[in-house]
Amino acid sequence: MSDAPTSTKRERLELGPAARRVGLVAARELGAAIDTKIATLAAIAYALLANALFMNEFFLAGVVDMEPFFAAQPLLLAFFLPALSMRLWAEEKKSRTVELLFTLPVRPLEAVLGKGLAALGLYGLFLACTLPIPLMLEVLGSPDRGAIVSGYLGLALFGALLLALGGLASALVRDQIVAFVTSALVGVALVVSGEERVASVLDGLAPALALGTFLRENVSALVPYQEFVRGVVRLSGLLYFGLFAGLALWGTALVLERDRA
Amino acid sequence: MIRLEHVTKRYGATLAVDDVSFEVARGEVVGFLGPNGAGKSTVLRMLSTWLTPDAGTITVAGHDARTEPLAVRRALGYLPEHNALYETMRVDRFLAFVGKMHGLGGKRLEERALWVVAACQLEGVLAKKIQHCSKGYRQRVGVAAALIHDPAVVLLDEPTHGLDPLQVALFLEFVRKLAKDHAVLFSTHILSEAAAVADRLLVIQQGKLILDATVAAVRGEAQAGGRTLEDEILARVRGSGASGKGA
Repeated sequence: MSDAPTSTKRERLELGPAARRVGLVAARELGAAIDTKIATLAAIAYALLANALFMNEFFLAGVVDMEPFFAAQPLLLAFFLPALSMRLWAEEKKSRTVELLFTLPVRPLEAVLGKGLAALGLYGLFLACTLPIPLMLEVLGSPDRGAIVSGYLGLALFGALLLALGGLASALVRDQIVAFVTSALVGVALVVSGEERVASVLDGLAPALALGTFLRENVSALVPYQEFVRGVVRLSGLLYFGLFAGLALWGTALVLERDRA
Repeated sequence: MIRLEHVTKRYGATLAVDDVSFEVARGEVVGFLGPNGAGKSTVLRMLSTWLTPDAGTITVAGHDARTEPLAVRRALGYLPEHNALYETMRVDRFLAFVGKMHGLGGKRLEERALWVVAACQLEGVLAKKIQHCSKGYRQRVGVAAALIHDPAVVLLDEPTHGLDPLQVALFLEFVRKLAKDHAVLFSTHILSEAAAVADRLLVIQQGKLILDATVAAVRGEAQAGGRTLEDEILARVRGSGASGKGA
């Protein structure tokens, strides 16, 4: 009774339509995030805090340098970025719109990339709110422009990693608060594990394992981030952030596939 | 247009759908009846590709739901049971989003949007956010979204839920019109609704398909036995050995 012959071939990925769907999901997500006002409030709070922390340091030290600003960001972002990522999938699951989304012709990875792009766009707004700092330094003196650019590149990559991990946490749970707490804890762990003092304490707990050193050198996001802050852009740093963020995005798509089955 | 062959689905130890097979052709409206928890929504969710069957094959418009889920989704319009919508979106933007996701654009999207808005009588709420629409309008927005890409197959899961009697009557008339060039499968637990518009009835009980017959045939048998259509179906449900409350 079928009107068309049954096909058994698998669907091929067509990049053009796939990119279009990614863009559509991103645009919808961006609109929804702005509508909920959480993103806007988080951006305002972050901008106030980030600028205030730097100004305090700047007026005390009186050095035309953005290093203190970049040094303060990882922990700050570990708490602020989960506010952007917590709703990505938990909200879809709770409101059951995830069924609507995945009965539209879109692959899980396309939807994950779309939502990731939207979160990155909002994060861009966060970073844009800090631009008065380098502009002020330009007016007051001659800051190291190269270090500022690579520092912002490091911030962008660091934020992208936290958002990808936050998206994964959001896909694993139904509750946005649980997603927020989980993402914040993971973010803090990725930062503090890069501190030498923390690594020494962990090494001291089990010297034979040297767990602290292992985490600091291979897992922590702080060490590769600090290289960018020093103005050093290495392939290893780019690979670290790209690989871990990519794995988190892929993992999110797998979790969403598993949920459907 | 729709073909299920020996489809089975389990939720843990619970057998939700047990070896179900049926077909729906273009031009047919098929009423899918069964008590709550009988497996209607699970079957529709597998057809929509939201769920994957544990065994058996599902084909929609010639596309295998397991290997070509995107092609299947393009071929069907689906109104899920809970009709979850993006609450903060305006109705017109939501419909445009769904249409674009299906690959529509430009003049074609405009034409289809105009058609579904007129067909579902959404003119008055287009600029409203979905969260500010009444339950009846929300249901119509869900139907409009399911139809915007002019799918060959339409799946409606409890589509009259939340509609008042007049809206139900209008909606059933609308479904009847859709049948002309679509294959329509709609689930309900209200027999009178199914009998009013369907050409054929499927009755599922505890995951098993216990009836697949035309409305005319069932009605004929009911009249021959001096029973109403409802009594005839209830007799079959009881005769199947299942313990549900009837269709």
